[in-house]
This record gives sequence, C-alpha cells and structure tokens, in this order.
Amino acid sequence: MAETPQKAHQTPRSSKHQQQVKPKPSPSLTPATPQTLAPRRSTRRTSLHFNPTPNPHKHDDGIENPIEDAAKTPRKANKIRERSVRKTPRKSINNAEEACIESVKTPKSAKKSEKPGSKNGDDVVEVQVSFSPASPDPSESMGRKRKRGEGGMVVTRAMASSKSEKKRGSAPPRKRVYYKKVVYDGGEFEVGDDVYVKRREEASSDGEEPEMEDCRVCFKVGRAVMIECDDCLGGFHLKCLKPPLKEVPEGGWICGFCEARRSGKEVELPVPPEGKKRLRTMREKLLSSDLWAACIESMWKEVDGSFWCRVCWYIIPEETAAGRQPHNLRRELYRTNDFADIEMDSILRHCSVMNPKEYAKAINEGDDVFLCEYEYDIYWHSFKRLADIDNGEEDGEEVDNDEDWTLCKDSDSDRDEDFGHEEENLKKLLTKLSPAQELAANSRKGQFFGLQKIGTKKIPEHVRCHKQTELERAKATLLLASLPKSPPCRNKEMEEITAFIKGAICDDQCLGRCLYIHGVPGTGKTMSVLAVMRKLKSEVDTGGVRPYCFVEINGLKLASPESIYRVIYEALTGHRVSWKKALHLLNERFSDGKKTGKEDDRPCILLIDELDLLVTRNQSVLYNILDWPTKPHSKLIVIGIANTMDLPEKLLPRISSRMGIQRLCFGPYNYQQLQEIILSRLRGIDAFEKQAIEFASRKVAAISGDARRALEICRRAAEIKDYNIKNLKSTTNSVPSGKSLVSMAEVEAAIQEMFQAPHIQIMKSYSKLSKIFLTAMVHELYKTGMGETTFEKLAMTVSCLCTSNGEAFPGYDTLLKVGCKLGECRILLCESGAKHRLQKLQLNFPSDDVSFALKDCKEIPWLAKYL
Amino acid sequence: MGRENAPEEALKLIRSRLCNPSFVFRAFSDSPESNYSKLKFIISSSVTEACNNSILLLGPRGSGKIAVLELVLKDLLLEYADMISVIRLSGLLHRDDNCAFKEIARQLCVEHQLIFSKMASFDDNSQFMIAMLRECGLAHKTIIFVLDEFDLFAQGKQRVLYSLLDAMQSITSQAVVIGVSCRLDADQLLEKRVRSRFSHRKLLFLPPSKGDIERLLEHIFSLPIDSTLPHDYAVEFNAKLQIMLADDKFKQTVNAHMNSDASVNHLSRFLFRAVSYMDLGSGFLSLENFKTALSNIQRQPKLECIKDCSVLELYVLVCMRRLEVKEKNSYNFITVMKEYKSIHDSFKTSDYYAQNVCLRAFEHLLHRELICFTDNRGYNQSVEFRPVKLLISFHELHQGLKSYRSCPGILVKLMDHEV
Repeated sequence: MAETPQKAHQTPRSSKHQQQVKPKPSPSLTPATPQTLAPRRSTRRTSLHFNPTPNPHKHDDGIENPIEDAAKTPRKANKIRERSVRKTPRKSINNAEEACIESVKTPKSAKKSEKPGSKNGDDVVEVQVSFSPASPDPSESMGRKRKRGEGGMVVTRAMASSKSEKKRGSAPPRKRVYYKKVVYDGGEFEVGDDVYVKRREEASSDGEEPEMEDCRVCFKVGRAVMIECDDCLGGFHLKCLKPPLKEVPEGGWICGFCEARRSGKEVELPVPPEGKKRLRTMREKLLSSDLWAACIESMWKEVDGSFWCRVCWYIIPEETAAGRQPHNLRRELYRTNDFADIEMDSILRHCSVMNPKEYAKAINEGDDVFLCEYEYDIYWHSFKRLADIDNGEEDGEEVDNDEDWTLCKDSDSDRDEDFGHEEENLKKLLTKLSPAQELAANSRKGQFFGLQKIGTKKIPEHVRCHKQTELERAKATLLLASLPKSPPCRNKEMEEITAFIKGAICDDQCLGRCLYIHGVPGTGKTMSVLAVMRKLKSEVDTGGVRPYCFVEINGLKLASPESIYRVIYEALTGHRVSWKKALHLLNERFSDGKKTGKEDDRPCILLIDELDLLVTRNQSVLYNILDWPTKPHSKLIVIGIANTMDLPEKLLPRISSRMGIQRLCFGPYNYQQLQEIILSRLRGIDAFEKQAIEFASRKVAAISGDARRALEICRRAAEIKDYNIKNLKSTTNSVPSGKSLVSMAEVEAAIQEMFQAPHIQIMKSYSKLSKIFLTAMVHELYKTGMGETTFEKLAMTVSCLCTSNGEAFPGYDTLLKVGCKLGECRILLCESGAKHRLQKLQLNFPSDDVSFALKDCKEIPWLAKYL
Repeated sequence: MGRENAPEEALKLIRSRLCNPSFVFRAFSDSPESNYSKLKFIISSSVTEACNNSILLLGPRGSGKIAVLELVLKDLLLEYADMISVIRLSGLLHRDDNCAFKEIARQLCVEHQLIFSKMASFDDNSQFMIAMLRECGLAHKTIIFVLDEFDLFAQGKQRVLYSLLDAMQSITSQAVVIGVSCRLDADQLLEKRVRSRFSHRKLLFLPPSKGDIERLLEHIFSLPIDSTLPHDYAVEFNAKLQIMLADDKFKQTVNAHMNSDASVNHLSRFLFRAVSYMDLGSGFLSLENFKTALSNIQRQPKLECIKDCSVLELYVLVCMRRLEVKEKNSYNFITVMKEYKSIHDSFKTSDYYAQNVCLRAFEHLLHRELICFTDNRGYNQSVEFRPVKLLISFHELHQGLKSYRSCPGILVKLMDHEV
C-alpha cells in the first residue's frame, strides 16, 4: 500500500509543521430528533449545537497511513506536539469490521481503486460510485451546511454493495440504514473510531477549538517544536524553556513548574497576556471532564434522514468510583460498558485511544492520544483489562475465531433486523436487573449471564507500578501462554500446510482433502496450523486468497465424539441443534451439496485436534467426517492432529484410505531447535547463561524433544533463581552484586525436579521400620529371584533380620500397616491390607534404587549388609 | 483466674493446638527451605506476575500437604484480598468429568455471586469455566484449583485435567492448578499430552527429621508466658517441659512411636493421647503420660482378636492351620469339620460340639476377618461349601494361643508339635 498515488500529495508532516486552518463557527442547527433511549446520561444524548470544523486539509490526512508517517519523522522518545487531526484506522476495536473479509477494504485500498487500471476487478465500480462524492472537495466541505438525507455524501461501501444486490427489493425502504463509514462535516468517521463528544451546550460556546495548544510560557502557538511535560501535560516551546533545550530529551521530562511543585515550593505560573484568553485544547477539556470521548460502535441513518451513531463512552479516572489511583497515567482513559445513541452532530472530531502497546510506540501522534488499558463497568464499578482484540497471534483469541465467521454472516445478510433485536436485548440485560429475570451464569441460555460482574474494584498496584526485573521478564516470556507470532524452526512444515490449504482452497474444483498431522506433544503442531491460518486470514484480507470458514475443534473438549457434529454445525451456522439433526444437516450440506446461504459456498477448513478421541466403537464419527471431503461439492478440508503416528493404520481400512494419504510428521525438536526456540523468546533479556540454555535443551532433546518441557525447565530455573535472590535479600538485606544470571545449577535443579522421580528422597527419610521393610523386600528378591512375594514370607524375613541384628520385632500388625503405607505411596505395589498374610507385594522401583537410597543410612547401618 | 483452673486451661490450649493442623505446621513455615515458603513463592508470583502454574504436592499421607497448602492460601487471601478465588475438588468425589465441571462451575458461581444452574450440560460448564478463566484473568484475578487426590483425576480420559491445563495455555487466563497426591508417581499417570502441558513443579513433603520433631514438640507444648494463664504456672510448666524434652527416655518413647510411621499427623495423634493423660492435680506433663499413651496406641488387633475368640473358634483355626500344613490348598467348612472330627477322635478332647454350633463359630470367624473366602465367586452357594482361607499367620496364631487365658493344652501341643 505504500506506493499509493496519494503519497505525492501527502503533506510532509513533521513535528515542526504548525499550519492551521481556523475553523469557522457556523450557525447551529438543532433538529428534532427522536429520543430512542433513555438510560443514565441523558445529557449526552441531547441534540447539541453543531460546530463544524471543516478543514480541507484533514481530508487528505485522514487517509494517510500512520506508519508511513511515523517513519518519516525522526523518532523521538518524547511526544512532540503537533497539529494533527488524524484518523487512525483503529483495528483493535474494529473487530466486526475486521471479520467481514468480503466487505472491508481499508481506506487506502479504496483510494487506490480510484486510479484507473487498478486490479480490484469488480469492486472498483462500487467503490467508485460510492466514493467519488466524498473525495476531497474544498468548495463543498468548507462552508457546508448539512443537508440531511443527502445520500451523495455518504460513503457506504459494504452496505452499498449488499444493498444493491439484494436489499433494494426485499427490505422495506423506511428503515434505518447502517453504514460502516460516514463522511460527516468534513470528518470521515468509521465504525470503531474514537471521537470527542460534546458534553454541554455551552461547551460549544468556546467557539473555536484549538487543535494546538499554546505554549505555557509565551502563550503563542508558533511553529517551533513543543515538548510536553509528563506531569501536567502542559506544552512548552523548546526555546521558551530555561535553559532552552536544543532537542527533545530521551526519556521522561517534567517541566520546571511541576518539579518545583513537587519539591513543595509555591509556583507561580506565567499569566497569559492581557486580552488573550488561554484556550484549552480538547484534550484538556476531556481530562477536566468538560468533554467526553467515545468509540463509535455503529452508525446509521434514521428514517428521517438524520445520522445517528451508537457510541461506547470512555471515562476519565476521576469519574470512576475508585477515583484517580496513584498508578493512573495522565492520559489514561477507561472504556466503559455504557452505550448511548447520539446524533452525529455532537461529535467533534477524532481522537485516538490506544492500547498500551500502541501507546508506547506512539511518538508523533499529536495531542489527542490517550491510553486505555482497562474497561470500567459502570454498574459494578469494577475494572477489567481489555482483551487485545487485534492481537490475533495471541492464543486467547482462538475461542473467538470461529465466532468471527458467524458474526460476519449475520452482519451481511440480516443486519438491520438483528440490530434492532440485539439492541433491545442489550437494553433489557443492562437495565433490568430484577432478580426474576436473572439467568444462571453457567448455562448457555443465559449466555454466561453475569460475567460482567467480575472485575476488580481497584486495579492492583503491583500490576502497574512494579518494575520487572530481568528474571521476571524472562519468566514472562518463557510462559507457555505467551506464544510467539510464528513458531520458530517449523518453516518447512508450515510451508507444507500452507501449500496444502492453499491448494485445497484455491482449486476451482475445490476437491476436499484431508491432512493428518502427527507428532509427539509439544512439537508445535496446533500452533503451526494456527499460525498458517492467521497468515492466510491476512491474505484473505488483502484479497490473495478466497474467503473460507475455519472451524477448530478439540477432541478432548467434546463431551462425546458424536457431539462434534453439533459443534461443527453451530460453528458454521450459529444454530444449536441436537447432534443427530446436525449430522443430518451437515450431510445435506456436504454430501448432497445443498447450499442454503451464499456463505455456504465458501470452502470450509475443519481443524480437529486430538483426533484419536473421536474413535468410537464402529468409528462412524471419523468415517462421516472424513467422508465428506471426498464428495464433489463439499468444499471441506479436514486437518486432523494427533500424537500417534499410526492412527490411520489402527482404524478401519475405509477410514485409513480416506485419511492416510497426506501426512505430515512433526518430529521431536533437536537440541539446536530447542535452543533457538528458547533464545528467540529470551531475545533482549539478559537472564540466562548460554550454557544453561544449551544444557536444558540438550537434556530435553535427549528425553522427549518437547518444547513445552524445555520452556518449563527454563522458567522453573529462573523461578528458582528468583526465589534464591529474594530469600537472600530478605535475610541479609544486601543486594547481590553483579548480574544474577540463571546458571547451570538452577537448570540442573529444575531438571531434577521435572524428570526425577522423588522416591529416593522419600525412601531416605522414611521411618525406621519402613526402611527395614524395604530392605527385607530387596533381600527376599535376591534370595528367591521372584519379584512378587507375600506378606507372610516377608514378615518372616523381617523377623529374621530383626533378631539377628538386635532389633525388636514390631509385630505383624504394625508391619502390615507399614507395608500398606508404602503401598499408598506406590513404592510398593500391594494388594489391600485386608488380605493380611496373603497380601501380595512387589517393589515398584528397581531394587537398585532401594539399595542406593538405604546403603548409607546412619540410623540403621546394618541395612547395608542385606542390600 | 485461680491456680486450680490453670492446668485445665493449659490442657485445653494444647489440645486445641494439636487439633489444628495449621498451628502444627506453622512451626516449619519460617525457614526458606520449607515447603511453606516455596509454595507461597510460587503461588504469589503467579498472582503478581499473572502467569499460569501447575504444582504437584507429593508426600505420604499425614505429612501435611493440605495443611501447608491451607496455611499458604490463608496467608495469600489476606495479602491479596479479592484477587484470589479457590476452587477445591477432590478426586474421591469428582472423578467423573461431568461432575467435576459442574462442581467447578458451582464454586465459581458461588465465589462470584452468580446464579448457578444444575441443568447446565457438560459443554456449557466447560465453556463457562473457560469464559470465567478469561474474565478473571482480565480482572487480575487468579483462580486456584486445588485437586485433592490428584491421582484419581488421572484416570480415564483426563478431560478435566486437559481442559484445565489447556485453558491455562492462553495468555489471558491466570490460574494455578495444585494437585495433591500421596502417590509419588502421580505425574507419570498423566497422559502424555496432558503431561506436556503440566508445568511440573513438584514439592515433596518429607517426614520431619529428628531436629524438626524436637522443635515441633517445643512449639506445641510450651505455654505462652503472656496470656490469661498464670505467669508463674506457665514458667514452671515450660521449665519442666524443657527437662522432659531433654530426657533420653522421653526421646526413646517418641522414637518408638515414630519408628513405624514418621509423619507429623501420626505424631500429633500420639501427643494428643499423651496429653489427655496429664495429671490435672499436679498440672504438668510427665514422661509417664507418654509411656502410657505409647502402650495404648500400639495395639495388635489380630492378637487381640484371638484373645476374644471362644475355644471352639480356636479349634477351627487350628484345624485350618493343620489343613494348610497338609498342603491342602483349597478347603471349606466341611473339610475343616472333618479335620476337627479327626482331632477329636485321636485326642478325645472334651470340647466337641455339633456341626451347627461349629458353623456359628465359623461364621463368627468370617465376620472377624480371621478367615475369608478364597474368591468372590459362588455367592449363591451356602457358606459351608465355599472355599476359605486362613488370614492369620502361624506365628500370630501360636502367640495368640500362648497368651490365651485358658487355652486347651491340646491346641498348644498341636501347634508346638509343628514347630
């Protein structure tokens, strides 16, 4: 996308760029709008005076690619003020859109398609038709009064297409029309954008909204670089500072006033010159709760032609029940679960609310940048971390993956009906919390009702304030849960899977096929497949691959093998039926080629993890599933994953002939690969000695080649080290000098803990009689050569041993009890104690282990004689 | 408070200490090498660092696995007030997958004041658990699953373990699975795909060493100086205690008890008994108390059984023993009666009873488990014809006969004859 024709007329945006077009205040228009909802914040929903800020410049900027932009400007650690009203296509919140592969194009691609001769085939027409009125047109957008219902200015891409195809005829015209993107008063708003929203009528009386803050010292805007104080967020020109700074310093910077205030001095802020009212930026207004910020959830045109949108409010820390907490950052916002329908009038302009990762990277994004990490529940006054929706590579999203597909189906076909419905449901759920209507949390009917209750009343301080040590960072990256973007050392296998899937999808015939993947646990089978799927998904987004459905099932998580039909059907259509019905419907779909909806036409990829669990007595489940791909119009691709290499051979021939053709083996990792896996995770973290990692990976490679084991060993080693350091600190109060690297000793300890059975240690610390008992067992074994003995014989041996060594024989009953105790720990295998004299006993461990453990026992030295 | 009441108060205090496992194990909690601090470190670091862990607590029964765990959980619940929720499952109760998921869902609902439905299916419950793990993870809450009798969960398809451990592979979840088992090979029981997901932290609970026991005794018995107890009494009590603890005879007594089983639980049961013998008149613990307790606690149930037998029953036992010596592997009541008759015929004993009386004695022996049926087959057969076996060894029988008050001479002779 980088070579778009727009690049030429992008204004080079640097930190010094200070040009600004003052917005014109325009007469307000207060249309009578229907009040649809009336929950809490009614003020937010009153129709507000409109204050357009038309800005031709904005138009171009809004389409700019933020990444390009960031690359152009020199990277500075501090955030530099900059005039910018930018539209960052927020993918993170834009979940629904992301999923709609068919309908979504990024603005850039749309722009590109304006150019004649672009590749996007049939899309071009639609896009051009719908897009051209919205192209930057200063004369139109400058002093534009809004004309309601003017369809021309509305960009409806996804909807335009679907409307033209089928909606026109069937849907009644007097209905809300939903849009994904609206150009409204010169601003281009998309679903998922973050915007400022007016709070009060008089808020607009400020007239003009400065997009650039004045310098706190000279009270001019100027073109010079400004620096922002981390504490008061005030802006300062570099040259206005005392002493003036040449360039923006690395790291944090606090202005002189704040520093003085911190040290307890009275501070006199410079007074603005007479006549000049200090203008507050929108950011300041927001943080002093004069404005609101919100995220657009959906936008639609009412029947009367007015534009409305449903927004999700952001809240500033001061407005929460817990108040501002010490670890809150200045620019922190909370996302709430408070929704409201507002008119598009009250939206001022874009701001960008980012998750911590983006926020950390944001350098040159201007003033309207906010951080949002938590969701605030306004009913329960509790906080919850926002799940990283855009982090597709994270495992947590797996659950949502198949939902995405169903979601996009709904959104295409019956969105309008659905929306009204959904809305009502939501309203009901949120407003009426009467006990009569409460549903059980754990039943599906209740849709896990009440989960919103869960949340912390206060964000625990250790989460934010604790500075991680190297060891702790190492531990975090070594977690099994923190998956890398793509599994290292599995390139060949991933290529093969990609080739397989692509071949299966892209084939016009789309002959269904099966792939059987096998390998020992922890060799990255599932992870590789999922990585491939993610890559393919992004390829679908860019149009390289035809869209497909992806259903992931884990055999071990099914209640019974048959319920897989139900799960597949639910994933494909979203309906829950009994498994028999689901089988029937799936048979219809795959075998008979009966397609009901247009999405059924898509190829479907079915990933079945732990395939061996689906084997039933007559193996009908596996047969059915593996038979569908062979049908001519099924368009089904099955990927089965299991541990055993010869699973197909163990099955009936008719199944193995369907499954066993294409196989892919994930061999155990060798030590270099394991080492690479560990090192790739530990990149940039100095916590391990090189030999220690090598030792761990060699050990694991020799035993199982399981990457999970290797990671766990390293994590455990880091944990042991951490534990030792913390103990040392607490006891001696001395900070250990030098770097504390995890060394061989810790890795050795971790390996011991993981691989060594603890029986030797236990045997060493056993009671006296137990030791004698074990010795007698070994003695008996040597004497007779038989592994198995009975209690009667053993008791005889014990009494012999005792009498010849001057010990008191404890009596049969005590001895029996001792034997049973040993049996409980599985040091011995024994029958139940009720059998008494006939009880059969056998050592569970090699007799050498016993000899090793008891040879140098100080308490009873004579044991060595018999071992 | 008068001096008279003081011993009673002291006794109450010591008894309550002995019954409270968390007090007993508090003695070991301060050293960094103890399981307490290790376990606490692992759990608290997974709370603060938002990571997933799975730990196995292994050790013989009575070594304080659960007690230490409870101690840790109690402390952590104080430290991180509403950031931890504990789900407790027992392998004995929730071995069935369905039942385990239901119980997890129920406890989660109770913990978070949600409404629980008994009707929810397996799928619903397992999805609910995953959803809850996610939500709790997002809210910085850690869920701790305590699986008592872990080895029993490792039977069958191990769906519960797999689901739990697989859910923990996701970045948003924040959970600790703690398996408690007395089987040392518990982790070997896991299926390989489950084992691969298990993070293999193992804590071994070993029986206390000699030094530990001494410290423990002092910890339990010494009275607090600054409490409601009279000061001089407490001081005197402690002084006498020190003398007793240093006594070699005392050590021998305790060791004699610990010889068979060195676990803490076993010790505290003994101590409770000993304390109960404390002379309230003098108000101090003495060596005698411990000796009495030892002799009372070391019982030989089988020998006592023989002591309680009737003479006829002894005859039956001896007859069975004789049959075994004759290498008749399978015998039943009828063959025993034949043997009995032959003994009577050859020695002309005075104790000869009718067959139905003998059958009563025989059944009595069966009930007392001195003899048992060879197998479980033949329920419908009458008792007389089912093959039986002697459950008591020759030496025990011999010893029992010798110590019997009025054992017929002929029986002892018969047994001696064999020797």
